[in-house]
Amino acid sequence: MTPAPQKEINCAEAIEHLYAYLDGELTTELELAIRRHLAACARCFPEFALERGFLRFVQARTRLRGVPDPLRRRVFEALFADERQQPG
Amino acid sequence: MVTGLSLTAEDRRHAFEVEALPHLDSIHRVALRLTRDATDAEDLTQDTMLKAFRSFHLYRPGSNIRAWLFTILRHTFFTQYRRRQRRPDVDDAEMVDDFSLYRAVQEVDPEGRFFEQIVDDTVLRAIDDLPDEFRETLVLSDVEGLRYDEIAEITAAPVGTVKSRLFRARKALQRRLYDYAVEMGYIKRKVE
Repeated sequence: MTPAPQKEINCAEAIEHLYAYLDGELTTELELAIRRHLAACARCFPEFALERGFLRFVQARTRLRGVPDPLRRRVFEALFADERQQPG
Repeated sequence: MVTGLSLTAEDRRHAFEVEALPHLDSIHRVALRLTRDATDAEDLTQDTMLKAFRSFHLYRPGSNIRAWLFTILRHTFFTQYRRRQRRPDVDDAEMVDDFSLYRAVQEVDPEGRFFEQIVDDTVLRAIDDLPDEFRETLVLSDVEGLRYDEIAEITAAPVGTVKSRLFRARKALQRRLYDYAVEMGYIKRKVE
């Protein structure tokens, strides 16, 4: 049995699916097709790499700070107070 | 897993502590970006956790707790906080979607090394300049890492709308940060 022909995509199709690819939202078939395209395409590969770097940068810069301790205490106290008011 | 209707108050609080409280950082981060105000964000975080605690019997153990908490957060924001906030929503018309970061930087900094010079406050302010629906979509995806279908459920929008909002929000954020980097001299503007 011969394997099914692999899906081929061009640059425009690859760019159209750029974010869905980086977000891990594509079907396996399309994801593999894009991965093959990127391995062979000197134009698309750096653009995908830049966009991936941008998404990593945004996540790194926006997750630096946690909940301030006073707020954490305030939430705990509010839950305790609420529990005491409610019938078990 | 604690289930059933005959929970004591203590069991219920323990289950809530184990399941929901580890997400307090996420809730507060999203509250900050939705309200764009530190005091409102603290109040919204507390209101969200109290509401979640009171309706915790409606949460199905093992289902998506973060999506459930974000849904409560978002509903509380739009019903109780949004209208009394002084800062108006930004007009959607300002949302560009034809900006290509790669085209802008490919000749001078194709790897985007200028990002490294942009500090967190600048990124947060740029996100805060996005219109409500674009800001919430970007934050749920790019800060909190939720999937398209989870964001669609939380924001009560079709998946296609989530994708298009995310696309436009990312382009707008890139354009703002690129302009900022040019202004600061981190990168040279492309000559058209």
